[in-house]
Amino acid sequence: MAELNFNSGDYVKLRLALEEREGILLESQDSSIILLKLESGYNIGIPKENILDAKLINKFKEEKKETKIINTEGKPSIGLIITGGTIASKLDPKTGGVKPLTEVSEFLKFYPEILDITNIKKIDVPFMIASESMTSEHWIKIAETAEKMLDDPEIKGIIITHGTDFLAYTASALAFMIKDLNKPIVLTYSQKSVDRASSDAQLNLQCAARMALSDCAEVMIVGHASINDDFCFALPATKTRKLHSSRRDAFKAVNDTPIAKIWPEKIEFLKTHNVRNNKKPILDKSFSDKVALIKFYPGQTPDILDFYALKYKGVVIEASGLGHLPVSESGNSWIPTIKKHIKNGFVICAAAQTIFGRLDPLVYSNGRELLDAGVIFLEDMLAETALVKLSYVLGHYGWKIKVNEKMLENIAGELKTNLTLDSQ
Amino acid sequence: MDLIYSKVSLKSGLEIHQQLDTGKLFSRTPSLLRSDFPHYEIKRKLHKIAGETGEIDAAVQHEASLDKEFIYQGYNDTISLVELDESPPQEIDRQALDEALKIALLLNCEIYPVSQIMRKTVIDGSNTSGFQRTVLIAHSGSMDCSFGKVPIETVILEEDAARIVEKKENQTIYRLDRLGIPLVEIATSPVLDTPDKIKEAALKLGEILRACKVKRGIGTIRQDLNISIKGHNRVEIKGFQDPKLMIKTIDLEIVRQQEELKKGKIKGGVRNVLDDASTEFLRPIPGKARMYPETDLLLLKISRDHINKIKKNLPKLKHEIRDELKKKGLSDELINLVLDGNLDEFEILMRVYDKDANLIAKMITLWRQDLAAKNKKTLEEVKNILNENILESILEKVASKEISESDVRSIMIKIYQKVPLDEALKIDKQSDDQLEEKIRNIIKENPGLRPNAYMGLMISKLGKDVDKRKAMEILKRIVNIK
Repeated sequence: MAELNFNSGDYVKLRLALEEREGILLESQDSSIILLKLESGYNIGIPKENILDAKLINKFKEEKKETKIINTEGKPSIGLIITGGTIASKLDPKTGGVKPLTEVSEFLKFYPEILDITNIKKIDVPFMIASESMTSEHWIKIAETAEKMLDDPEIKGIIITHGTDFLAYTASALAFMIKDLNKPIVLTYSQKSVDRASSDAQLNLQCAARMALSDCAEVMIVGHASINDDFCFALPATKTRKLHSSRRDAFKAVNDTPIAKIWPEKIEFLKTHNVRNNKKPILDKSFSDKVALIKFYPGQTPDILDFYALKYKGVVIEASGLGHLPVSESGNSWIPTIKKHIKNGFVICAAAQTIFGRLDPLVYSNGRELLDAGVIFLEDMLAETALVKLSYVLGHYGWKIKVNEKMLENIAGELKTNLTLDSQ
Repeated sequence: MDLIYSKVSLKSGLEIHQQLDTGKLFSRTPSLLRSDFPHYEIKRKLHKIAGETGEIDAAVQHEASLDKEFIYQGYNDTISLVELDESPPQEIDRQALDEALKIALLLNCEIYPVSQIMRKTVIDGSNTSGFQRTVLIAHSGSMDCSFGKVPIETVILEEDAARIVEKKENQTIYRLDRLGIPLVEIATSPVLDTPDKIKEAALKLGEILRACKVKRGIGTIRQDLNISIKGHNRVEIKGFQDPKLMIKTIDLEIVRQQEELKKGKIKGGVRNVLDDASTEFLRPIPGKARMYPETDLLLLKISRDHINKIKKNLPKLKHEIRDELKKKGLSDELINLVLDGNLDEFEILMRVYDKDANLIAKMITLWRQDLAAKNKKTLEEVKNILNENILESILEKVASKEISESDVRSIMIKIYQKVPLDEALKIDKQSDDQLEEKIRNIIKENPGLRPNAYMGLMISKLGKDVDKRKAMEILKRIVNIK
């Protein structure tokens, strides 16, 4: 085996036992194999041990192409916050993998459509991470970045691009944190990377831009309404869940309806919303990380609560049906354990495992026992939103004695009094 | 004419795309083309994108049309989220891969031990994803033709595209049923310098493909021709599969390229064959900027062991089988009949009795067809009665000499007429003895004649209905004994 002292991107000639091969050297995920891009454009792999000799023909030279933000006069401006995820990733030719964008300017090179109707006054990149790596610290950082843009009267609205997996959590956190919102905050995403001509990012961004210029002063998630590339929905921040692992229309409103239907050229509002105003937004950014989300399953024993109560301040339990857990009639009753921990100040909330629908502790005696034991039934609140809210509420020391009241107060549209058929 | 071709230094190579008869390449849905009313339609757009190297490919640029809308028709039961570009691809179809490997090995190619599945950017809408998945399987093969060896440059396995239902100015309607059907692409070197050689190479490739599990019928094979004359850049002609138009297309293209040379134009491109064998410009030749890796799949590794396993079970080519059947003594007519779907049965029955290939060929083809025709039944109905097991039982008796070859046909007729197998086999032995007795008498009465003369005598004495074949067989045996 020959020594390979080349960098990916170099044009090399490799001697194998029976033949020679030329091409551009690429990194591969498999360290025993090198990848070679042939003249035809196809990549093949060659086990390193088969390479007898290697010659450098052409060294790789990186060409830096600066893309400037070209704003045209007369168009309204928006602010852009890029945080990572597929929408801000591109194919890395050297490895063949998908990696985060390195230059802010690249974003506009990939998505020129966003400039059709807006100028970009400011692009901020507080961090570039996949959404599963986010913590409440990141929610706060995004809110702080947004706050500056909210205070800038030239910026009509804000687009935040985000990985899809935990996008809805960030949306809820922003909705809880920002009081007196004065302009649109639109979170958007893509499920298909930008290197594909079929990427969903273009329509999502076009519609996000359209929404950011609207008079709707809400935190919204904007993305494909269906698997067609025709229009998007603006979905309410605290009532939206990712319900598919790969489809374009992965996000759906749960126990609620979309705020608006958005085409690249127009918006149709579907319900009343908070309108653009001149208030000064206030950021209330305290979260506690000592909260957890537990899903109940048959056979689960209450000692799981003993475990959490040691280090956590509260949990949201995804309970079954209308909000049930095993109670006194069961050999595996949770009641004594629940009572013990609530007595010591531990908060136990219940949200619906069924995703859709409202909890109701009064229908069965089972629910009444849990209610009596002190469990907070979170009505039609999404379990994920409930977790963010519990984190927010427990992050406020002053609310310690009224956690129950705060959890059931409709702060950012997370609770809905009436469930209608169109909200499922 | 050959002189003219050499004068212009005709250089051409074939590129054949053949659908495989397996499931889809990157989803577990069937490769089923449908004509029933689609269950749904979806609406999509495609965007112009830069390739791996940041440049936009010439072919892609040409196709780019941002305002175009694409409608895709699908079926709930046979189209999956993969074809809809709503889910990442599943692992490559193992059967399709094995068929591609078989084809590559039949073409004496070297298999790449490691290859990467690529995305080839296609934005005419025929792929929902905006690219076609394609993988290089093998290289450096060769195929024997009467004029010498034709080098095979590459064997590629790729996805077929969606098929066009309707094309309007700003909207194209596609059906998703064809999208993802595995295609094997074979490219020869540009060594074919006369139309006759091109035609022979095309037919030979077709024969090799049909030895493997490939789809048959219109649209399942598509053939392109890369062609240039001296001084002109390469032109790729699509839809070059009609043998009747091949030579005319080549001649017209040579004239066209000559005309262009006179005007100082040497630009290559992709062209499409029209009904009158002339061609029209489609798009520029795609370059490598069009290809980038399929990031959702692992590297494709093909082990030595796996290649060896496939090598051991390579199918025989039709001409090889033909030669073998010829050696066994079959006429061309019988060979054609046997090759028309009866080969398996033929080989099984030959294992029971291998002394007379002609007898077995007739049993499974002519005689059964004859019964079907005479009784106004379908061949299938006759085959159900005179099935492989029954024919095997008859041949076992022939092999053990309990009956003679000449009895087989009449036994088959009896069995068809619902005479139980055991009985059909017994009765004939008796009549055989009686016939032999009669023939012995004729010979005894008329000694010293030539076989033909005896035959004449037998027909006049025993009547026209006598089994001539059997009589001749018995006669020969007796005369020989003498």
